[in-house]
Amino acid sequence: MRNGSPGRILLVLGRIALAGILLFAAYAKLKPQVPGMHWSKASVKTSVAMFAMNVDSFQMLSTPRQVSLVAHLLPFCELGLGLWLLTGILLRFSSVIATLVFAGFFTLIVRTYLLGLEINCGCFGPGEKLGPRNLIVDGSLLALAIAVTVGAFLSRRKSRLEDAPAAAPATLGAD
Amino acid sequence: MEVFSDYQCPSCGSLYEQTLRPMINDYVASGKVYLVHRDFPLPMHAYGYEAARWVNAAARIGKFEEAEAALYDNQKAWSIDGSMEKYVAGAMNAADFKRVQKLMVGCGIEVKPPTGPDNPSGCPLDANIEADKQLGNQVPVKATPTFITSYKGQKYPAASGVISWPVMKQYFDSLLAQ
Repeated sequence: MRNGSPGRILLVLGRIALAGILLFAAYAKLKPQVPGMHWSKASVKTSVAMFAMNVDSFQMLSTPRQVSLVAHLLPFCELGLGLWLLTGILLRFSSVIATLVFAGFFTLIVRTYLLGLEINCGCFGPGEKLGPRNLIVDGSLLALAIAVTVGAFLSRRKSRLEDAPAAAPATLGAD
Repeated sequence: MEVFSDYQCPSCGSLYEQTLRPMINDYVASGKVYLVHRDFPLPMHAYGYEAARWVNAAARIGKFEEAEAALYDNQKAWSIDGSMEKYVAGAMNAADFKRVQKLMVGCGIEVKPPTGPDNPSGCPLDANIEADKQLGNQVPVKATPTFITSYKGQKYPAASGVISWPVMKQYFDSLLAQ
């Protein structure tokens, strides 16, 4: 893809959108959950504990320790992955990881919805009820991640083709 | 913590057995948590409203906890045919149960719940249940169990579903540490 081509622009926009979503998701989980409350170590701890309750309500993990681990790690993984995508460095790898993450979320949401569990999703902070809207939103995010991944690989392939030296013309009697 | 629940809701039963019971024995007993039960019987549970009436009647003579425990412990049994009376009876002595029965006069299963403020049911116990439902609608409660925590004058976002006690305990600890 050449710089400035529509494909390249779409890839950049997709990458930034994906990064923005992940960063927002991390922010929503970590921010103080009460309006007017200031950021502090204690407020982040409470926010993580609230997210742990969301994770627990999915009834996927078997021990409280696993729940706590996921609740503590996931927001920071989203933060790191979002920042990585924003830089555009090693985009093929970051986009593949983002796709796997969103595929995991989508599978979980579908399973939970089919089981009829009446819970809070917690995807973008506590208080977010799980419903058909979540299926559409998470499905769309997964589609975006896949599109960015495909775009990243195609972009890399085209760059390689454009950068490859032209084939030397065959010469007769060279030897 | 306010818990909006329906006595016939299986998830509410699970929350009670797995989480609220240890919480009551631990954090409520030690004064760390003040637990408030709010009735929110769901229309799809045929006996949920009636169960709430029985527990409200028991609460009026100071036997709320006993009646609540009896109904949740035997939820599967009475949910089939609405035979909750015998379980409430088994949770207290004969004299107390007679007082509860007296309060339940005019509140049998044949008495339909109120459909609005202009259409009361005639059962005096329904006023408390309807008041709780009003509070729940303001949250809004979309499913049971739903619980809301308030701490130092701040109300935290509502959460719902079955949460294990160790996870909920961590949440309380994080609040109490503030």
